[in-house]
Amino acid sequence: MKSKSISSNSAKGRWTLTLKSRETLAAYAFLAPFMLFFMVFVVRAVVEAVRMSFYDWHILRPMRPYIGIENYLELLNDDVWWISLQNTIVFTAITVIGTTIVALAAALAVTRPIKGQSFFRVLLYMPSLLSVGAVGLIWVWLLNTQFGIVNYGLSFLGIRPVNWLGDPGLVIPSLSLTTIWWGFGFPMLIFIAGLQGIPDQLYEAARIDGGSDKDLFLHITLPLLRPTILFVTVTGVISHFQVYGQPFIMTTGGPGRSSYSLIFYLYQIAWTAFRMGYGAAVAVCIAVIMAVMTSVQFIVLSRRIEY
Amino acid sequence: MFKRLTLILTLALLVAMILVLSMPMSAVAQDAEPTAIVGAFGGGETKISYWNGLTGSDGVTMNEMLAQFAEENPGFEVTSEIIPWNTLYAKLQAAFVANQPPDLILMHASEVPQFANFGVLMDLGPWYAGNGGWFDENDISDITYSGMQYQGVTYAIPLDNHGRGLWINTDMFDAAGLDTDPGTAPDNYEDWVTLMQAVTLDADGNNAADPDFDSENVVQWGYVVGEWPRVNFLSALAQHGGEMVSEAGQVTVNSDAGIAALQQTVDLVYEHKVSPPPAGFDTWQGFASGSVAVIPTGTWFRNFSVDQTDINGMAWPQVQFGENPATWFGIHAFMLPASSTPEKAEAVQTLLQWISANQATWAGSGQVPALLSVQASLDAVNYPSNILLGQTFTEYGILDYTSTVTQEMYAALDPELDAALNNLKSVEDALNDAAERMQQVLDRAM
Repeated sequence: MKSKSISSNSAKGRWTLTLKSRETLAAYAFLAPFMLFFMVFVVRAVVEAVRMSFYDWHILRPMRPYIGIENYLELLNDDVWWISLQNTIVFTAITVIGTTIVALAAALAVTRPIKGQSFFRVLLYMPSLLSVGAVGLIWVWLLNTQFGIVNYGLSFLGIRPVNWLGDPGLVIPSLSLTTIWWGFGFPMLIFIAGLQGIPDQLYEAARIDGGSDKDLFLHITLPLLRPTILFVTVTGVISHFQVYGQPFIMTTGGPGRSSYSLIFYLYQIAWTAFRMGYGAAVAVCIAVIMAVMTSVQFIVLSRRIEY
Repeated sequence: MFKRLTLILTLALLVAMILVLSMPMSAVAQDAEPTAIVGAFGGGETKISYWNGLTGSDGVTMNEMLAQFAEENPGFEVTSEIIPWNTLYAKLQAAFVANQPPDLILMHASEVPQFANFGVLMDLGPWYAGNGGWFDENDISDITYSGMQYQGVTYAIPLDNHGRGLWINTDMFDAAGLDTDPGTAPDNYEDWVTLMQAVTLDADGNNAADPDFDSENVVQWGYVVGEWPRVNFLSALAQHGGEMVSEAGQVTVNSDAGIAALQQTVDLVYEHKVSPPPAGFDTWQGFASGSVAVIPTGTWFRNFSVDQTDINGMAWPQVQFGENPATWFGIHAFMLPASSTPEKAEAVQTLLQWISANQATWAGSGQVPALLSVQASLDAVNYPSNILLGQTFTEYGILDYTSTVTQEMYAALDPELDAALNNLKSVEDALNDAAERMQQVLDRAM
């Protein structure tokens, strides 16, 4: 009866637990506070959002009729949803790729044995400490067509003022630029950790074999950083797909709807139109899209990973 | 050695970039005394929480009034929170659901139906003199009184009329040989274009009517279409005899009147070259920095013009592009939650009685006091813009669109106007798209 988790000690008339059972119960006990929080504030909220998406749910209206999948059908025919989706995908792609490249470059630079290494690491991380409000306001001024320091600098090169936030072709890249500057600090730390985990012997052996810096980077650093790159890109996609603050503060979605993002539109539906049911349908669709994108990333990037 | 030097230089460049980017920007406008976003006035036992959206210099005036009230009424403590309007309306929804609304709310009259429709506002009819109360409805205009009501119930006490007018740079007018007397303002589109061309200058000093004018190198704009385009459009729409929604409940922004109104505005940018495209152009800072001659703004611009710029400016009536004069205006009004206790309502009533009795002080914010007797008492030396623009509201003002879905209607209209003004869509397409979405909103609300 070893496998029984609870055994009876008939001689003493009381129940005792096996060691394994005690460990299992202890593990659940440690997990319980988090699980409770998770169930109440995440799982319940998700279930509630899915449920709301099948109702004509106005926040102040007592009557909330069940309307089936009408909200989802409306979504399929909603031009603004599709515009916002396209904008969000473009923004996410530019931002994730840009952030990954800048963060990796910065990590490579600050892992070199130079004086003031820690100082540079802290300095490069500092923008990440700012709030989106501060970052948005700073960059609105930097990119201002009339008074911005960026255009002022370009004027010395004979370049006419660029309408960074007003040109529909430039507004998303401009928001991405802002976000990359703001957000590359954290992935840089992840890359630093990843770089420090690569054994020096590999580089030494490669150098003995005549490998150049470029060879070392392409055939040792990059392959061994694949798990790190996977982590950075997956978390980046999840984070940047939910972009809201930058368009809200810097462009209010304009010009026209050129910088509407999905969450920006979701906020408008839920808190300007107060259509919580339709907003919930939008939120559910966003979650599904993110889950699919994350799965694709895992499939593509987790191949041939050497742990 | 070379690699290390390159690395250090690269890092130094990055550091320099971050430092430059992190430097506080020097705004063109002069620094002003910041408005307290959350302010507590007085320390009495009777506490009143008060939310408003007065994020401009009018918030400063309101806080000064609250401080004065607290000084004269030591038994009170008023906690004021200034929240941007859009956020305020979102927060209010959540506050009503949580049954924790503030004791007093300043809102736009156009929002009365949106909230009254759900039964969350208190009936303030008994506070009006006609019902034996203290607020004299005969001392406000009929249109203001009607704005306080929804389905026959009076839900609000008006504070002011605020609305559209122009501010002109008088030095630029003088330099162009134009008369600054508001009485000389043109009354048709062609004359307005001529005026705006006269004060639009390129880097060589040529104005926009000059054959040598370089529209790619403008240093002084005659006008700016990007300043709150919606209210410009609604004003111009009315000037052409149109309306946003017909009496039959049809959205008519894409009527001939609507198309004419928006096309004229678009033409100011792309045909007459007297205004920059709206996107990326900061209109207030443009005026403050002396690169804009005429800005369509409103009563709220008074203190910014006086306190935060070195520009010699003055108010002018709203442009007239159509056959009839018309200008948009709104009403700031006080409301109470339906859940107020009698004691709390009594306390708020005391505060509102004091504010109404001191509406002349509110004129210092630039807004036009709602009480006609106070409007009549304003002196022309200190309050020229209040008087001038107040008269235009009385004579030909059109009240802000009021319905249970005001915010959602505007959320459908605004991006389309922006798209047309930025040349991303034709005027017809933009207004047709706007009308379609707005009609969906209206139909849902039926």
